[in-house]
Amino acid sequence: MLSEVDKMNHEMEVESAAPSGRLFEKVLDLSENGLFLVDADRKIILWNEWMVQASSVEPVDVIGKVFSQVFPDLVGKRIELVINTALDMRTASLLSRSLNKSIFPLYYANVGGKKMRIEQSVIVKPVQSDGHDYCMVQITDVTPMVQRESVLRVLAKEAAEGQKAAEGVSQMKSQFTSTVSHELRTPLTSIRGSLGLIASGVMGELQPEVSRLIGIASNNTERLLFLINDILDMEKIEAGKMNFVMGPVDLIVVLKQSIEANQPYGEQYHVRYLLQDGISGIIVNADTDRIMQVFSNLLSNAAKFSLEGSDVDINVSESNGMVRVEVKDYGAGIPLQFQSRIFDKFSQADGSNTRKVGGTGLGLSISRAIMEMMDGTIGFVTEEGKGTTFYLDICLFNKG
Amino acid sequence: MLDITELQRDYITEILNISMGRAASVLSEMVSEEVSLSVPEVDFVQRNIAAEKFDQANVSTMSGVTQSIRGAIYGDALLMFPEEKTLSIVRILLGETLPVESLTEMEQEAMCEIGNIILNSVVSSIADILKKEIMSSLPRFIKGTGCEVFAVETSNDDDLVMFLKVNFGLESQSINGYVTLILNVDSLQDFIFQLNEQINAI
Repeated sequence: MLSEVDKMNHEMEVESAAPSGRLFEKVLDLSENGLFLVDADRKIILWNEWMVQASSVEPVDVIGKVFSQVFPDLVGKRIELVINTALDMRTASLLSRSLNKSIFPLYYANVGGKKMRIEQSVIVKPVQSDGHDYCMVQITDVTPMVQRESVLRVLAKEAAEGQKAAEGVSQMKSQFTSTVSHELRTPLTSIRGSLGLIASGVMGELQPEVSRLIGIASNNTERLLFLINDILDMEKIEAGKMNFVMGPVDLIVVLKQSIEANQPYGEQYHVRYLLQDGISGIIVNADTDRIMQVFSNLLSNAAKFSLEGSDVDINVSESNGMVRVEVKDYGAGIPLQFQSRIFDKFSQADGSNTRKVGGTGLGLSISRAIMEMMDGTIGFVTEEGKGTTFYLDICLFNKG
Repeated sequence: MLDITELQRDYITEILNISMGRAASVLSEMVSEEVSLSVPEVDFVQRNIAAEKFDQANVSTMSGVTQSIRGAIYGDALLMFPEEKTLSIVRILLGETLPVESLTEMEQEAMCEIGNIILNSVVSSIADILKKEIMSSLPRFIKGTGCEVFAVETSNDDDLVMFLKVNFGLESQSINGYVTLILNVDSLQDFIFQLNEQINAI
């Protein structure tokens, strides 16, 4: 417990330690904000150094004068109204820079002979002391923020324009690709037809040398057509224009058709397609043409990458409403560094000009897109030197 | 839940609409454009129920302005809109377009001022009914789900929320938002008492 004397001493100490009014003023003068105080009679009773610098008005010229006399241009303006409500209703207000352009006539000290207005954000707060009402007006210089945001505005506008331009370019590119592809496909089809007729001998017996050259021309025409068809498919997928007619599809029937269609291709590589025995009646939900396209792609890839004279095994299994089709080759396997890019566009493990196997590098990318559109998946398991198994998971057709 | 009579509800709605009209005319003058504000509905619900109501009605994040209020009533006043609506209000009022999907620092400040004008006039009309003084702090920009927004400071489930639907008419758009005042039970009983006094005096 403090004795009465102790208490008195303590109070005296507190009093002497408390900063004097002069010290408070000094502190306010150091503030990086503009500050002035208005009393209930609307007279300005405090005007800090920041205000002096920014307004070029000394305290002696404002202290004791009413607000409307100091700022005649602000009479009836929102700032005067909020000062009144702060004094009459003790309400705090904010005047933002964006909704109130340059409230007070405040400027930076002459910069290169130019007078530059200070961008302001103003808060007005009621203050009560000793039963009297006052209103504090605080001005924050938001010029740096205004400048920052004007830069942001320019950048945001440029970014939006850039994006629009990029979209335009991408659309032009896809239009160009599809036009060019169509223009290429039509003449190629008639070249292929003509070469076929010549090769068949309808136009007369061919010299062996001519027959060999016609064969080369035919093969390359086929390759070009494959390439163009793949590019067109890719384009359709990217534009979201590839249409799917989903419905019940007899998987084994379609698999057998695909194998038959790819048989001649397999023979080129001396590869046999072996479909697992004793399976039938598996109905999946798919688009017949598209699922055949995926099968063909996997079957031709398997032949292409098989060891000459080996088999390609095709197995089918069923679990949890899904059917898995596996196409297994006994080739060199997929190199580790290529495995992550295998479904990318235009990817081939051997990207050199001298690569041994043909193809556009679009097939797997198209297959994956098709499988995704049919709610299925595609994947692979591979071992270097032993071979690769590609698998497809397809949804069973649900009668309900 | 607080039961108030139809007459009481009409009276409060009327008074709030008058104050909203004042706020709208301040805003109209500031942006030199027709702005209308109205309160079609007033409700009193518990704080946690208000938060749920908020989240059910609005899937997206809400954003807006909050001020603490002290004096005759003690709590928080909030003005909230679905976030994208806040964006349209500020950008229509400032007459600008910006391809950025969140408010910039300066736009947030502008929203604070808009909220400040609206909330001050709501608070002052409540003070008029109470015939007592209510002081409010400076506005602050907030963002979050109903539960986040209502978990503010006075986290007492007994607190009641005065829930006002607010219609903000701008250009040809009509934007719905909410003003809420989180009140403690004592403030509210006083509020109802004063309300009845005034209704009886008419």
